[in-house]
Amino acid sequence: MKAILILFLTALVVLFAGLSGRRGTLRGIVLGGVLLALGSLLWDMTQADFLGWNTRFGGMFVFDGYALAFSSVILLTLALVVGLSGWGFRQLQETLGDQYGLLLFSTCGALVMVSFTNLTMLFLGIEILSIPLYVLAGSRRDEPASNEAALKYFLMGAFATGILLYGFALIYGATGSFDLSTIGAKVTALSGSRNMLHIGILMVIIGLGFKIAAVPFHFWAPDVYSGSPTMITAVMATVVKTAAFAAFYRLFDTAFGSAADFWSVPLSAIAALTMTLANTTAIFQQDFKRMMAYSSIAHAGYLLMGVLAIGSDTAEGAQAILYYTLVYSVATVAAFAVYMLVAEQNQDGTFVAFRGLGQKQPALAALMVVSMLTLAGIPPTAGFFGKYFLFVSVFERYPWLVVLAVINSAVSIYYYFKVIIEMYFTKEENVYAVHVPTGYQWPVWLGLLILVGLTVWPEQVLAFMF
Amino acid sequence: MSLYLILIPILGALALLLFRPNQANAWALGISLAVQVGTLFLLSGFNPNGGLQFGLDTPWMASVGLRFHLEVDGITLLLLLLTNLLTPLILFSSFNRRFESESRYYGLVLLMQGALNGVFLAWDGLLFYIFYELALIPIYFICAIWGGADRIRVTLKFFIYTFIGSLFMLVAMLYVYLKTPAPHSFQWEDLVAVQLTNAEAWWVALGFFLAFAVKMPVFPFHTWQPDTYTTSPTGGTMLLSAIMLKMGIYGVIRWMIPLAPESMHTWMPVFVGLAVTGVVYASLIAVKQTDLKRLIAYSSIAHVGLIAAGVLVWNKMGVQGGILQMLNHGINVLGLFFAVDILERRLGSRSLFDMGGIAKSAPVFAALFMIILLGSLAVPLTNGFPGEFLLLLGVWQYNPWVGALAGLTIIFGAVYLLRAFGLAMFGLPNSQTERFQDVHTGEYVVLGIVAALVLLLGFFPQLILGLTDSSVDRILGAVQF
Repeated sequence: MKAILILFLTALVVLFAGLSGRRGTLRGIVLGGVLLALGSLLWDMTQADFLGWNTRFGGMFVFDGYALAFSSVILLTLALVVGLSGWGFRQLQETLGDQYGLLLFSTCGALVMVSFTNLTMLFLGIEILSIPLYVLAGSRRDEPASNEAALKYFLMGAFATGILLYGFALIYGATGSFDLSTIGAKVTALSGSRNMLHIGILMVIIGLGFKIAAVPFHFWAPDVYSGSPTMITAVMATVVKTAAFAAFYRLFDTAFGSAADFWSVPLSAIAALTMTLANTTAIFQQDFKRMMAYSSIAHAGYLLMGVLAIGSDTAEGAQAILYYTLVYSVATVAAFAVYMLVAEQNQDGTFVAFRGLGQKQPALAALMVVSMLTLAGIPPTAGFFGKYFLFVSVFERYPWLVVLAVINSAVSIYYYFKVIIEMYFTKEENVYAVHVPTGYQWPVWLGLLILVGLTVWPEQVLAFMF
Repeated sequence: MSLYLILIPILGALALLLFRPNQANAWALGISLAVQVGTLFLLSGFNPNGGLQFGLDTPWMASVGLRFHLEVDGITLLLLLLTNLLTPLILFSSFNRRFESESRYYGLVLLMQGALNGVFLAWDGLLFYIFYELALIPIYFICAIWGGADRIRVTLKFFIYTFIGSLFMLVAMLYVYLKTPAPHSFQWEDLVAVQLTNAEAWWVALGFFLAFAVKMPVFPFHTWQPDTYTTSPTGGTMLLSAIMLKMGIYGVIRWMIPLAPESMHTWMPVFVGLAVTGVVYASLIAVKQTDLKRLIAYSSIAHVGLIAAGVLVWNKMGVQGGILQMLNHGINVLGLFFAVDILERRLGSRSLFDMGGIAKSAPVFAALFMIILLGSLAVPLTNGFPGEFLLLLGVWQYNPWVGALAGLTIIFGAVYLLRAFGLAMFGLPNSQTERFQDVHTGEYVVLGIVAALVLLLGFFPQLILGLTDSSVDRILGAVQF
């Protein structure tokens, strides 16, 4: 709760400071606010709940260990993104303060989404998260692609929210409550026809499926990802996905856990479709951002396995999702950080932009290798352990899904390695020059350090966060 | 103690990759020699009848059963010897070639050495898998950065092929892991203790076999191999053929058969059949080759097919012979590929038709090449003989007909290797081979050491057999079917 307040106040300050402030000051304020909020989360994780605010708000949301853990993933990712924004937002002039403000407001929504205990709060969280992002996606007004992205994102988002809301209404009709634990108890005890409940759950799956871009509700993602400014794409692929999965798991675990027999069937089909279709489509992409869009869809497919672990008596699913989103977010931000430099300095968004990077910028290229290997899940990177946790959590109940996921991760090597091949193995004369602006190094190295730390001490990280 | 064999090369590799020193080759050689000394130290303290030694066991991810658990027994020690004897030789033989971004090349070779040591030392199933995959990354880079024409397509095929194979191993390993009593464990003893039904074991064995068959490679999973061997820089080819493919054979001995013995009645005829088919098939193709490097690549499939067959029949003779031959094949194939490398650098071609009469202008080279070749042919008193003899005996014991078929490898080997040697070394010299320079000091050292090992191990195979004898007895005793 404190984290939300800090973020919100920071956003207000930065909105006004944006009227007169210098770029460095603005970034400093935002970074300070995010780190402060992150610090308050870490404080709450290790100490007793300061001021008792984490459970105060009348059963609307609760900052338990689960919410704290996912919030810290979100804020850590955001800190990395803000760290890159000195260069990433270089083209913005008078709107810089607004951009930072919107980014922070959006994150407030993400934090609500991981801590809700009431369906209305989930709905509000999604809206708070999404509306600023619609604006941010279209923030390059002179570019048609950016406008297109914003409009698509908005229309699809509105459509999905409508379906979600309808689902909530049906669930309310079936159980008479918006409160998660009350719904959970009612679902267990429900006698008579369950049709209304089941249709409601299906609609929730569809609505959230749009948010996490699961097949067949994914078709907006590639256009939106590639049209939006790269900084915003990075946020969509990481913060939004983390928040949506945290919400997904929390909702289905607390409220619909006892109906798992019903929803696990469509959900496992969606997971299988998502990973397979996204991976096979990603192979054919020439544009890095579109490839990353399909890759993020594929990762949503893997992550759904964590949701399917609900109903087995352990909390493995939640832990697996937490670890995976953390690893995936850091690796994705790192990949976009490198991409932003090479692509925007040379006006080339295809894989060719990476050509010869291994010679020109060994450090950047090394980071890119680590993050591609991580996303592909190749041992001993943290990405492997992320996949491993997910696989183990569902192996006994869905062995076929694990085998499919395994085949898919092998397929994904093909497109992740395209980048590595361009960076190191093509021997043509180097076409592009890339220089690293000052202040860009630290988030890049920090990301690398986090990835290494997650490999060496995965257990300790999880134990600390949960 | 055993931990240093992994840590030193990996840290050395990271240092080379990060700091990019000028004399990267000397640094790498020094580091790998230090590891070699460490291995010899292990050897001197090793008690062949003492069971598991030099262990290290510390939790990594206790909640999912992963422990950083290393153990040394005779079989492991032999493979450590193989890795750490040959890696310095491979590094030293690379001195003859100048590389773009040298520190990167040598760093990757060291990384490979560390990962390979990890594979052989791991006593935890998941740890084994992690090192098994880690070894794939450096070799992929080595082959794809410094390889020849068409390297990108060939190496990506190699990577995806082997990666898919080992993912099936991961699934199989996970399956057995989840069958261990809770809290689950990946320790070798715990995994071996699991009783599977025949049907379960059938799938588990298949998963492991796909991983190891691709790595070795066994017919019909070998299609990546000739291209990759031919395209890779010589150092990469040596690493692949001399050391890396032994990961597959080792995996069969240590993991596949012990974890799924229940299915071996069903699978053994199939697996042995495939291995022996590979022997005959690869030999026949090798006879037709004109590219010397490709010829040796196919001969390697044939030799490894025999090793695989011997190990898979799972009797004392076969396994002992397989282990011995792993070391010998590593030594021989390294020497052969180095000889090819010398020829290629001098002549600018690997085609047998561009050679001829080299023995006249380079007698020392021809003599050393001959010794190594004879070792590969398994002529008595060279290192190849005791190993292949034991292997054939083992297969013969399993089934005389299969044994006879596998024995063709020696005859075919004589045909294609002697044909190649004759075409390259004898006959009429051409304008290029007339001016063929004999080996210089650096090359002499490498070929000399290899030739010396060929003769030494040919005279005293007992040195090796004594080392592994009781370990093989123990693993055969623990796993019966």
